[in-house]
Order: sequence, then structure tokens, then C-alpha cells
Amino acid sequence: MFDLEIEIKKWKKSLYKHEVFEDGLIADLVLHLREAYEDQKLSGLDDETAFIKAQNQVGKAENLAAEYGKNQLAALNRRFPFRPGRFMPALIFNQIKTALRSIRCQKGYSLINIAGLAIGLTVCMLIVLWVVDEWSFDRFNVHAGQIYRIYRDESATQMNSTSALTPPPMAAALKKDFPEIVKSTRFGYWQRHLISYKDKNFNETRHMHVDPDFFDMFSFPLIKGDPETVFSDPYSVVLTEKTAAKYFGEEDPIGRTLTVNNSFDVLVTGIISNESLNSSLDFDLLSPFEILLKESIGEDNADNWGFNSFSTYVLLGQSARAESLNQKLKSYLKKYDEEDLDQLVLQPLTDIHLRSNLEHDLSSRGDIKYVWIFCALAVFVLLIACVNFMNLSTARSATRAREVGLRKVVGANRHQLIRQFFGESILMALIALVIALFLVELLLPMFNSLSGKELNSAWRSNFSLLLVFISLSLITGILSGIYPAVLLSSFQPVKILNGIMRSSGANPFFRKSLVIFQFSLSVFLIIGMFIISSQLNYMRDIDLGFDRDHIIHVSMHGELHDKYEAIRERFLQNPNVLHVTASMALPTNIQSTPGTPMWEGRPEDAVMEIKTDFIDYDYIETFKIPLVEGRSFSREFSTDLETSFIVNEEAVRRMNLKKPVVGKKFGFWGIDGQIIGVMKDGHFQSLHHKIEPLVFKMFPAWLRRFYVKIRSDNMAATLRDLEKTWEEMNLGYPFEYRFLDEDFNNLYRSEARLGNIFEVFAALAVFIACLGLFGLASFTAQQRTKEIGIRKVLGSPTSRIVALLNQEFLKWIALANLIAWPTAYFIMRIWIQRYAYRADIELWMFFLSAAIALAVALITVSFQTLRAARANPVKSLKHE
Amino acid sequence: MISKTLMAASTRPIILAILSKGEDYGYSIIQKVKEISGGQLEWTDGMLYPVLQRMEMDGLIKSQWKLSEGSRPRRYYTISEKGCEELSAELRSWQSVWQALTRLTEPIPAQD
Repeated sequence: MFDLEIEIKKWKKSLYKHEVFEDGLIADLVLHLREAYEDQKLSGLDDETAFIKAQNQVGKAENLAAEYGKNQLAALNRRFPFRPGRFMPALIFNQIKTALRSIRCQKGYSLINIAGLAIGLTVCMLIVLWVVDEWSFDRFNVHAGQIYRIYRDESATQMNSTSALTPPPMAAALKKDFPEIVKSTRFGYWQRHLISYKDKNFNETRHMHVDPDFFDMFSFPLIKGDPETVFSDPYSVVLTEKTAAKYFGEEDPIGRTLTVNNSFDVLVTGIISNESLNSSLDFDLLSPFEILLKESIGEDNADNWGFNSFSTYVLLGQSARAESLNQKLKSYLKKYDEEDLDQLVLQPLTDIHLRSNLEHDLSSRGDIKYVWIFCALAVFVLLIACVNFMNLSTARSATRAREVGLRKVVGANRHQLIRQFFGESILMALIALVIALFLVELLLPMFNSLSGKELNSAWRSNFSLLLVFISLSLITGILSGIYPAVLLSSFQPVKILNGIMRSSGANPFFRKSLVIFQFSLSVFLIIGMFIISSQLNYMRDIDLGFDRDHIIHVSMHGELHDKYEAIRERFLQNPNVLHVTASMALPTNIQSTPGTPMWEGRPEDAVMEIKTDFIDYDYIETFKIPLVEGRSFSREFSTDLETSFIVNEEAVRRMNLKKPVVGKKFGFWGIDGQIIGVMKDGHFQSLHHKIEPLVFKMFPAWLRRFYVKIRSDNMAATLRDLEKTWEEMNLGYPFEYRFLDEDFNNLYRSEARLGNIFEVFAALAVFIACLGLFGLASFTAQQRTKEIGIRKVLGSPTSRIVALLNQEFLKWIALANLIAWPTAYFIMRIWIQRYAYRADIELWMFFLSAAIALAVALITVSFQTLRAARANPVKSLKHE
Repeated sequence: MISKTLMAASTRPIILAILSKGEDYGYSIIQKVKEISGGQLEWTDGMLYPVLQRMEMDGLIKSQWKLSEGSRPRRYYTISEKGCEELSAELRSWQSVWQALTRLTEPIPAQD
């Protein structure tokens, strides 16, 4: 018997076979079928024939499905009301809740994750602050992009030599000769000044002299005084806030006078606030350059093109191009001095701090290499923290597999899950960010003393810096979330819910490689640490070829210069004073002089760069410089003051002089004389430089500082005695002295500081890596609880179980060492090659690094495995 | 008989034209097509629905389920503004096709 309803049901079923038909569509079609059937019946057909005809009229299911399929394809490209939205705000709340719940449920892991990320971010942020600070040098100047310093490229006459020093007339001449140059200023200092106000006396080393254009070029803010008129009187001075406070305290400094070297007065006309500015131009007091000409170097030197002692800065016009000007500057010096073959080059102001490597440069520069090294370090540390996160989340993936399965079953697609897991890792990273910001605040004073900087928590007022930090944490969240998100979302719900999925979760190979990667980085950092500190120690302890212990030095400026002989005699009366001598340059930094000396048998075209210093009697004895031939300067020979030279072995080699060298003709600065002694090679410059030819000559007029060698016992008392003697002599200058070995250490201070920072951060990196290992070990132990239980029941001793569990980790660490060793060797060799004199990279450093990494890892892992191995097997086995 | 391609091309304008007269439901649309064309346009009834769905996706028509007394619940379709524009555009194209065809097949006037 024909039953319409049953037939319709059958027909509907055939439609349901095709996925494209949704309930609404099927309702449409069924309705149509019924109406068609009724119409067929009206035409007089029997039930069955009418139904078949109606069915044919509606059409075949396959054809209809194909048509609907086309529509669905079209809908994929746009949003169709039947599909769930990509962004469902209602789910966000749920996802945050799940994320927080998962953080709360797994307190231990979350703690490790967040702590690791927070420490990593802290290190990163401190480094960012440091890098930003280094980078910001001179950029506060409004015209920073158009200001250039002029330096001399002396490679025409000397090998690879450059000098930041230029003659006094150059600044004005350049401005006159080139329309591109709008403003120019000299910047320089001749000698330290004794500055006095009432009863206050200070030796000022940073009393700089500039031209009136200075304030138009640079953007130092004058908080008092008018930049147009501060230098209208040549005898004027502009002070920094700090210096003003030193002399005047609460008083208003404007209009008061300071006395320089007890000989002339300068009027305070302005106050500069430069405390928070990073400038490569360092000064405490600024005066017009004219004073320098009038009072110190003589006005006749204003036109002296050979007097290379000052910096010259120029400001280019908006349309001027540095490259074309550089071309014109190449032969510029010839215009004023036909014999001068040096080329002038423009150096951008913003390059001076980080990218400059000139002779006679300003002190305390940075180095772009360190900026890169630190950036790399920041990335390493962050990567290690990210790896922790990846490892722990994938290791725990099994515990979350059910959640993934259920979400998928109720309709979540993979993209939604990926988004959810990313959300979680980003949430973690944001929590870590908040902690890290607190840590930065807390650690900044410590970091400052480590780095010698005065960084402040600028992120609070600097929106872009805060943005950098936030994006740093977002990147961390995304980076550490990628793998867990992709992995967890790939689980197949059927397998999970059937319990087929093994609980080991992620691909163990991947996890192992991550740990190996982490520890390779750590071992690399430890090796780096060793090599850096061994180089620093090497430089500290190297035999310089001269004695620098128990020697103080005192600057002789102003009238002190004339009183040197008297001071010397009085000091030598003290039985604890062994020697007193004087020189122009510090023996730790003797610079070269342009020009090539004359010597016996010199070929016409010979070129030799030579370091020079003017010294006094007893210099060789004070510094215990060994002589290989001849003698030192002596009062017994009247010619010593005029025509005698002492050279070093390197100079003898370069000049190709045959023994005996003593008595050979030698001349420099137009003085013809002879060599009276040859000293052993010593390091009279920082160890970045190779030993160069060196010559000593006596020249009392040019002595700038004197040295006192003191008996090593009871130094403090001797120094007190000397100070008393100094005061008795009523010299009018304060007794200010420095220790030579301190100066020597200062040469490497920036390296030592950076070495310290590197050590601390490397140690933190290792710590973060261990944190991850700790988590992973506890996870492994937990996973193997039953195995451990069974082993114990069967009689395995605790020690063997611990060994079993540790074994795996130790293998990873060993492999990490294999990767880190060659990498560290090659990279550190590049670093150490910067030094002309360097420590060896020794094998023990590698072994010790490996041992440290192993030991730290072993302790970390054993802590967990021991606990697992000691656990009572009854407990671990009973709930089976 | 009309070719398949022409049928496919004309389906949408025909549906739009029918709906422009007022709201209607699936079965009735089919009947009207058959009636007006005198059986020249033979559609497989079921094929109408995917076309309607697609037209709704494109925003040419709107649909709504309606309950009326004494009859079944039906999904009624109405033409949208965009549909009206589409219809007049289609009409213009069809007219120009038609004009072209008639001009081409006119008897050539004899030359004097």
C-alpha cells in the first residue's frame, strides 16, 4: 500500500546523505514535493504515479546537491549567516577564564613559566634601556642630522691614521669658503684650569672653549642667559647647573665672576641644564675660544694651520649634501698649507659616540659592537625563556587533550583553538610583563652601578618605550605560544576521547631539541663569560714594560708649571718619596705626532709613524723602563736637554738601524741630534693597539704633569705628608692627585663594565634554562611514577632510579656542549681579535663550562628525580 | 525548446521579474514560469531553490517563513532594492541583445 509520509521520509533520507542540505533547505524541497504531488493527483493520476512524477519534477538529489555546493563555495569567500563568526566576543570571557583556570590549576608550572618569562623580559628591558641610552647620544640636538665633525684622514702620510684634532683657523675658514656650511664652531680645551670663587677652588678639567655659533648649532638648553648674547664679552663663562651649584650654592650665579688660574676673571653669563642629555660633547664650563687664544696658546696661533689641537664642528644647510662636500674637502688643506697632504672628512655627529674610532678622540665613547652583542644577548635570553614555555606546555599537553577534544566535538574549529592557546600564552606574557616592569624598577639602581650609566625608568613617561616593552612581551607570548597552539589544536577528538592518545603528548624529539638548543645557548654564554673575563684579567696583569704601582700624578697647569722644580725639590726631601719626574702625556696613553723623523741612512721616501712624549729627568728610573742599550737622560750631560733622543726597540727595527744604535743621528721637529738610549718595548697605549715606534725627548716647557713614586709601605701617611708640604708651599692650587694604576684600569673600565653585565645576564640565562629543566624533570618523573613504583617494588635501589632518570637529561646536555663548543670558539675568536694583545682561548674554559652546565643541570634534575625515586611505591601503585 | 545555456542565463531575470510583481513562494514561482511561457521554459523544479539561495546571498531577494491560515507554512521571497536595480539592468541587456538580433535578421531593403 502506498504511504505518502513514508515515501517522503525515504526521500528526505536520500537528501540527508548530502552534507550541503541543511534543515531549512530540505523543508523547502519537501514542501515543493507535496504541492507538486497534489497537483499531479488533481490531474487524475493514482498516488504512486503522482508521487514518482512529482519526485522527477523536483529533480535528482545529486544534481541539487551539486548546485547547493556551488553556493557554499561562494559563501566560503564571504560571510554567510549559517557560519559561526570568526570573532565571537562571548567566547573571549570564557577563554580568559579557561586560561586563568589553567594557570591556577598548574601553580608550579605556571610559576616556572611566568618567572622565566619575567626574568627574560627584565633582562631584555634593561638591555633595551641601555641600548636606547647608547643610541640616543647627541640625538637631542634639533639639527643632529646636519651637524658634522671634521676629522683628518692622515693615511697619505701615515698608515691608517686618523685624527679628530684640527687647527684653530679651520672653523671660520670652512664657513667662509663653503656656502654649504652655515655655522661652525671650534670645541676644545688646552689645559686644566684652577677656578676660584671666594674661598672655593677647584681644578676644572672640562672647561671647554667654543665659538658663538655653538648655541645655534647644538640644542643645549640655557635655563639662564640669552644664547645670542652670552658670549658677547670674550671673558665670559656658561656653567652647567651642577657646576654652578658647586661654586655658588643657592646664590644666583649670573653676573658673578670666577677667577681662572689666579690670573684673569670670567663673568658668568648663562646656565645650561645638561644633566639628562646624552652628549658626546662633555663639558662643565663653556667660554669663548678667544680666551684660550689670549690667555693660553697665544693669539698668533689663531692662524696657525699646523696647530692641530681642537675639534671643529660644522652645521650644513638644509639642501647641502655631505658626500659632495666630502669630495671638495679632500684637498682643502693644501689651500692653506701646501705641504699638508691630509684629507678632511665629515663625520656625522650621531656617529661620534658609537661608530667613531679616531685618534685623539673624546673620552668615554661607546662602541656599536657592544650594542649588537647586547642585543644578541637579549634575544638569547628571551629565546631561552620562550623555549621553557614551549617545553612545559607541550609536555603537559596530555592533561589538556580532553579539553581540546571536547571543544572540537562541540564545534570549535582548529583556528579557534589556535587563537585560544595563543591567547593563553599572551596572557602569561602580559602577566610576566607586569612583573618584569616591577623588577626593572627594582633592579635599575643595581644595573646602573654595574653599567656606570644613569638610566631611569623612562618607560613611565616615554610612551613609545612602553610600547616597545608591550610589543616585546606580545612577541614573547606569540613566539612561545606557536608550537603549543599548533600542536594542541591538531589533536583528533575521536582519538583523545577514546583514550587512544598516549599521554606523552608532544613529539619528544622536538622537545629534546629545544632543551638542547637552550643549553647550547647557555654553554655558549658561559664560555663567552670565561673568555671575556680571562681577556680582562690578562690586560690587568700583563707586563706593560714599565712600572705603574705606587705612583701618583698631579697636573701642572697655570702657575704650577713654573713651580715644578721647587715642588720637586721639596717632595724629594721626604724620605718616603723615591722619585719625582714629569712628562707631557700619561704613560698609559702616549699619542703619535704627525710627520716622519730623520735618522741615519733613512731612505728618501721612508714613512714612519712615531709616538712621542716629552719627559723630564728620572722618567726612565721612575717607571723602571728597562734599557737595552745606552743610558737615560742625565743632568751630567748638558746636551741631553737639547739634542738627545731615547727610542724603543720597535723604532730601531723600523728604522733598520744596526747596533750600536747609541750615537746614531736622529732628528725630529727640526732638531738634529742623536740617540742616547734604546728602551725595551712597552705598552704605552691601550692593549687594543700594537706596540708602535716611540721616542722620548726632553722639553721642559711642554711638561703637563708630574709623577711621584712613593715607597709602598705606609702610603697613606706619605700622601698626608705631601699634602702638608703642598699647603706649606702656598701654591694657591688644591693638591689633587690620581694613582697611575687606576688610570690604567680606567682604560679598560668600559670593557670591564660590559664584561660584568655580560656575566650577570649570562648567569640569568643559565638560571632560566635551569628553571625549564626543573619543570621538565618534574614532569618526566611524574609521568614515570608507576614505572618507578614497579622498579622499587622489584628491588631497585633509589640511586639506580635517580641515575636512570638523570641519564636522559645528561645526554641532552652533553649534546648541547658539542654544539656550543665550536660555535663559541669561532664567535669568541672574532671578539678577541679586536685586541692586539690577547689571552689564549684555552681548552679548560670549554671543559669547565661543560662541567658547570652539567653540574647545574644535574642538581636541578636530581632535586626532582630524587623525590620521585624516594616516593613510597605503595602510594604510586595503589590507585591502579 | 530553449537551450540549457539560455535557460541558465534567463533564470535570474525571470525570477526577479516575477518577484517584482509582489512576494511569492517557490512552487508558485515555478508554476508562473510554466504558465507564462506556455511550457516553453521547462525547469527542473528543485533547481529553483539553489538559485533562490544564491540570489539571497547576493542580496537580490529576501526570504521569510510565513504561516497563513488553512495552508502550509511557506517561505516567501521578496525582491530587494538591489534586486530591482539588477532587474532593470538585465532588461536593458536583454533588449539590446534582442535589438541586435532583429536588426541582423531584417530583410535587406532592395537597392534602387
